[in-house]
Amino acid sequence: MAKSGRRASRLVLVGFLGCSCLFAATAAWAGQELDFHVAFQPDELGASTNLSLSAKLVSSTGGPLSPVTKFVLYAPAGMRIDARGAGTCTAAVLKQIGPRGCPIDSRAGFGGGVGALSLPDETIQAPYTLDFFFAPREGGRLRLLIYVSARAPATLELVLVAKEVPAPKPFGLGFSVEVPPIVTFPGAPDASVESAFVTVGSPDVAYYERVHGRRTLVHLRGLIVPQHCPTGGFPTEGKAYFADGTTLTVNPTIPCPSR
Amino acid sequence: MSVPLALRTAVALTVGVTLSASVVCAELARAATAQTSETVTPSLAPDRLHAKGSLTLAIRYAGGESGLPSPVRKSLLKLPAGLGLDVPVLRSCSPASLRSRGASGCPSQAKIGSGHALVEALAGSQLITEHIALWIFVGPLRDFQPTFEVLGEGRTPLQKRVVFSGTVTPGRAPYGEELQLDIPAISTLPLEPDASIVALTLTVGVARHPPGREVNTVVVPANCPAGGFPFAAESTYADGSTGSSSATAVCPP
Repeated sequence: MAKSGRRASRLVLVGFLGCSCLFAATAAWAGQELDFHVAFQPDELGASTNLSLSAKLVSSTGGPLSPVTKFVLYAPAGMRIDARGAGTCTAAVLKQIGPRGCPIDSRAGFGGGVGALSLPDETIQAPYTLDFFFAPREGGRLRLLIYVSARAPATLELVLVAKEVPAPKPFGLGFSVEVPPIVTFPGAPDASVESAFVTVGSPDVAYYERVHGRRTLVHLRGLIVPQHCPTGGFPTEGKAYFADGTTLTVNPTIPCPSR
Repeated sequence: MSVPLALRTAVALTVGVTLSASVVCAELARAATAQTSETVTPSLAPDRLHAKGSLTLAIRYAGGESGLPSPVRKSLLKLPAGLGLDVPVLRSCSPASLRSRGASGCPSQAKIGSGHALVEALAGSQLITEHIALWIFVGPLRDFQPTFEVLGEGRTPLQKRVVFSGTVTPGRAPYGEELQLDIPAISTLPLEPDASIVALTLTVGVARHPPGREVNTVVVPANCPAGGFPFAAESTYADGSTGSSSATAVCPP
């Protein structure tokens, strides 16, 4: 477990951190605490894997959590996304039809969590789901679409974009997601998030496709664990930007896979 | 970057107008449908007393939270007294062979049946459906009791192989033997819920005896009790609840 950070608040979204066994990082500031858990499954060097991430935010002051406006994630050098053979979806399709409108081979992951709607006398918890899809590259860089959906007590459908961004050393892969303000009703704070979980990758995913006229079972490699693990483990970084202008940074180190 | 006005309005209206009512209604509806239920449908072929053939049990699971039945963990299938299994050449198969090599890892004489399962799981906002092919084999004796092994294989959207065991024990009247299946959790993706079986069909034996071949068959009882052959299923679910159902196969004409 690692500790770092400045200011904690809600987190929605994407994670490309990694590790064999479950690992966690906690950051706390101004009476709020963010708990991160990340895991690789399976946890083999160079293997196609699932990456799962969960984040939970707790406010010790009882006040509403400041909404996240952007989230940036840096994954270890050597980790890569092999999207060969994957389809793509568009934000327009997601907005008009929803996830069912996207090709099955464009799926990149799933997730969900609990949002918070702050009313004058109480905070209402609102479960939401996340669906990840490959989008057409932009300027040669990978993009993922994130379909956010909540049904009760409030209805919400939202499409976010995770854009691949340059990553400073010692990282190798970066993603940035901008989160719009989610208005609830006049006078009330924007919605925030208490928890989020994400799983991306495709080690077991398979689907049928016509290859040279024959129906063939196709596998995607998806997310690939680095071939080598540096001494001390895989370095990662997550940085959240908040509506009140503060940021939170966590630097969990992912343990190397056991031999 | 901002949320479209229509969306803001929709969120605000939903929260403001329907919050309290929808929460109450949702809780009431959830309570009404939270319990997982099951139904069992048996069929014998050929439907003739003392015939060698097959028995098919079709079980459907319904209800449960989020509209999905709770995953079944144990299923006790009660069979009518006098129902037998004819195995001309006794061969068995180990669960280790099935896990590593699939159905090809076992001698064909050990196969006593096949089937199909439909499983569903929630992932993200989607209901994921997968068809699972099943094979049933004679397993190794356990405490001098016969056992069987069930191999399940699904290909898409997740390529999965599951092996689980069953035991055969004497039952109480009006039933004969009981088959207990211990069904493992069917994992989907990390952090996502396990899959639920919504339909399970198991066929033991073969309805048509191929000429010149020794095959494993079910033997229909020589006598049919008044009211028909009794069948029952009792299940234990992952949420700790239990359920049962019973059915009767009408006596052969």
